[in-house]
Amino acid sequence: MTITVIPETFSYVSFDADLIRRVTGDLATSLGLEGHPITVEVDETTPLARTRIDITDGIKIRADSGAFEDTRKPRQQSETATATSLGRVLLRARDRLSGGFGEAPPDNELSLAQIAAWETYSIGRLERLGIPVNRQRWLYNFRNRHGFTDAGDGAFDQLWRSEGLTWGELCAISAAAAMAVTPT
Amino acid sequence: MRKFFPVEELARDERFNKITMKDRQNDPRSVFAADGEGDSKRANFRLTPARRDASDGARGLMHGIFVGEIQALEGAGRTCWDFETETEAPFALKLDMARQCWDEARHVEISVKLSDWMGTEIGQYAENTVLFEAACSTDPVMRLAGVNRALEGLAIDVFTTMKEFGDLAGDPYLEFCEDWMLADEVTHVKMGSDWLRKMTEKDPERRNKALEFQSVVDKLFSYGGTRSDSSESPIGLARRFRELAGFTDEEVESIADVSLQALNERKLAVAKMLGAADSLTAAAAGE
Repeated sequence: MTITVIPETFSYVSFDADLIRRVTGDLATSLGLEGHPITVEVDETTPLARTRIDITDGIKIRADSGAFEDTRKPRQQSETATATSLGRVLLRARDRLSGGFGEAPPDNELSLAQIAAWETYSIGRLERLGIPVNRQRWLYNFRNRHGFTDAGDGAFDQLWRSEGLTWGELCAISAAAAMAVTPT
Repeated sequence: MRKFFPVEELARDERFNKITMKDRQNDPRSVFAADGEGDSKRANFRLTPARRDASDGARGLMHGIFVGEIQALEGAGRTCWDFETETEAPFALKLDMARQCWDEARHVEISVKLSDWMGTEIGQYAENTVLFEAACSTDPVMRLAGVNRALEGLAIDVFTTMKEFGDLAGDPYLEFCEDWMLADEVTHVKMGSDWLRKMTEKDPERRNKALEFQSVVDKLFSYGGTRSDSSESPIGLARRFRELAGFTDEEVESIADVSLQALNERKLAVAKMLGAADSLTAAAAGE
């Protein structure tokens, strides 16, 4: 399995390229992505926490340093944050590569509700892989995009528990939750 | 019980990790691009639900509020104790500070519950102790300027931003709680303004010194462009509520200028830093 981490040494933050490589390798194995070369490029000039992925030629991940950071200790790396951030994008890559998500728009064209729904679906699966996650954090994220309603919370549970969804099924759950919001 | 407690010795359990303003200033990373644009950074950073990372941003800010409330409680409590009644601080001032302690303690509890609701653990983010540092002056008038007017003034801006966030997102608890806490903060600022005026009535030099100190603290709190009128700042300047809290138009304009100056200084520093990094990369490549 070929995993490349850029840069190999960090100057703005105290990150470890070997740790990133190991976490990426473990996740790729668990998710059945061993056959794909993976590149993880970290933008250490920003504390933002965004991650982007390109799967046109291998799997290329670009992450802001905040995505791997220990929020308790600024500029230090957190293995859990690294695994959570990489797991989210690798699952999204697997969904796109394995079929069922063919009609999903490119990442930069997804709506905020679609992003939240896909994140929920991904984080639920990551939890079942044994990665520690704070469920309430993701529920709050989902509620912000789908409303603070019982129907919304039900949709969240459904996405969290699901395996093998298609893009159409994911969107239908998200849309049903958003429709339950009553104007105040 | 000892007087004038140093910031380094604030009692915290193992969940907390304290950092200083110096630590924060030593972080070379920035959310700003050198030219305010660029593909890896964004120009609009105001904390609203429209931001992609809105819920995480709100969680981080909520935790900042939580530790800020603890430090504000500690600061107001110290003012009750650190100064001799009447010779150094009037009894009525101490009574106001005691009332503020009560408010801050309630805010801490509300913040813990809101953090729980938003999926944040206590101590999940580093605690910047700059707020308490502003409360370490040996002059009660300086504390009123640094804590009640600068710190609590910042709280007005923060709570207004969070209240609007909760309102737009449809979060039934966030909007409600922030609104109630905001009302208390307006009172705290008003108390600071009234006491500052009263205690320096016959001592213009002391008043000027205190206002100068407040300006320094205001700039510190705006470090990196965290708070300003610009949409590049996560927190806006709550002009209307500041007015209600007793700030004059000139004072609000002055804070707006200081905040914008802090934002521009940070952007300039980033531009310089990135320029230096580019030169080093070019030199390494033999260009």
